[in-house]
Amino acid sequence: MDASLLTIAPGAPEPIYRQIVEQVRRMIAGGQLPSGELLPSVREVAGFHAINPMTVSRAYSLLESEGLLERLRGTGMAVAKSARRARPEAERMSLLEPRLQDLARAARELELPASRVRRRFDQLLEDGE
Amino acid sequence: MNAMLKPHIDNAPLQAHGISKRYDGRPVLDAVDLTLPEGAVLGLIGRNGAGKSTLIRALMGLIEVDAGSATVLGEPALAMGDRVKEQLGYVPQQPDALGWLRIDEMFALLRPFYPRWDQGFVDSQLDRTRLPRDRALAKLSPGERQQVALIRALAVRPSLLVLDEPAAALDPVARRELLREIALRAGESGTSVLFSTHIVSDLERVASHVAFLHEGRMLLQAPLDDLKERYARLWLPGNAPPAKVAGEISRRPQQAFGGWSLVVEQRDGRWPAEAQQPGARIEALGLEDLFVEIAE
Repeated sequence: MDASLLTIAPGAPEPIYRQIVEQVRRMIAGGQLPSGELLPSVREVAGFHAINPMTVSRAYSLLESEGLLERLRGTGMAVAKSARRARPEAERMSLLEPRLQDLARAARELELPASRVRRRFDQLLEDGE
Repeated sequence: MNAMLKPHIDNAPLQAHGISKRYDGRPVLDAVDLTLPEGAVLGLIGRNGAGKSTLIRALMGLIEVDAGSATVLGEPALAMGDRVKEQLGYVPQQPDALGWLRIDEMFALLRPFYPRWDQGFVDSQLDRTRLPRDRALAKLSPGERQQVALIRALAVRPSLLVLDEPAAALDPVARRELLREIALRAGESGTSVLFSTHIVSDLERVASHVAFLHEGRMLLQAPLDDLKERYARLWLPGNAPPAKVAGEISRRPQQAFGGWSLVVEQRDGRWPAEAQQPGARIEALGLEDLFVEIAE
């Protein structure tokens, strides 16, 4: 995995270590990061995004304690064997749920027609494929 | 907010207690406490005129204060010995010392005074930034002078790095480079860093801790992640002012919403019970919003 695959938004209310945890969790759940895949070193992530290495370490340690990553002797962090299978769709869907609720609320607050929001969302989903 | 101020830590590389300073009778610093834990990157934030530069100059022993004391690497700020000075990298807001010297002359002059001097770093940085080695310092642009001053501060392989608005004169690319350097130095060499800025996004990238100075007073000081996780905006519907909420920091009426917004702090890891009322909700708060709210 390359450090550039992580998206860091320093100004977001969510702390940076949580942003990393969430993204790695999603990539593992979605099967994008298969078991055994090496993660970029703390230095690579910190250097690429100009963020504090302690923040990256904190995120990796948290993922390790959840059993999603394992520390390899001398080579860094890799996706754990126990995290091997992509998780079932229902479980992956639950990871997305809070964001969908945020999105729905924002759309209501802006009084946007649902059809238009849906159209744009479909577009975005298709663009990524 | 006083409960949030960090307690005294022994052996903190930088420590200030009750620093007060008046200029022409006007208070600029009012009983300021500050602690930089070892290995931390502490971002000192505040609006222009909040007293950031005065505080840093007091910490560096460059001005006498009316009350309080500061220690740098265990020695009084006003009486630092050579041992401390060798380990200290400091970049003032407008570096203007030694202006008549050429860049290469300045580095050659300083080098013998610092046992840990890293000439390889100086050479690689001068190449990378394409700074003309034969140009007099006084003839450089403000951004170039700041870059030279930064290279100089980092060349001594400091165990304590103090930067006063380091990004002010730098372009976005140089700024990102600087942040990267600060972050990696802290992570790999264990350098403790204090830097002041009024640009919140710079701070959010690299800081492990935040200190917020407002009108000469230290409003809060805490690990950055704690601040983001412990504070939020609570929206409460209804035009009548809500009763005081546990953990409330500030409040304001929100006419467009038809109610009130409050900034609240978690107690025992929970948001106030009012967040469960119909129509109420908790909204995550960015650092910038938090500062705007508590600085009023």
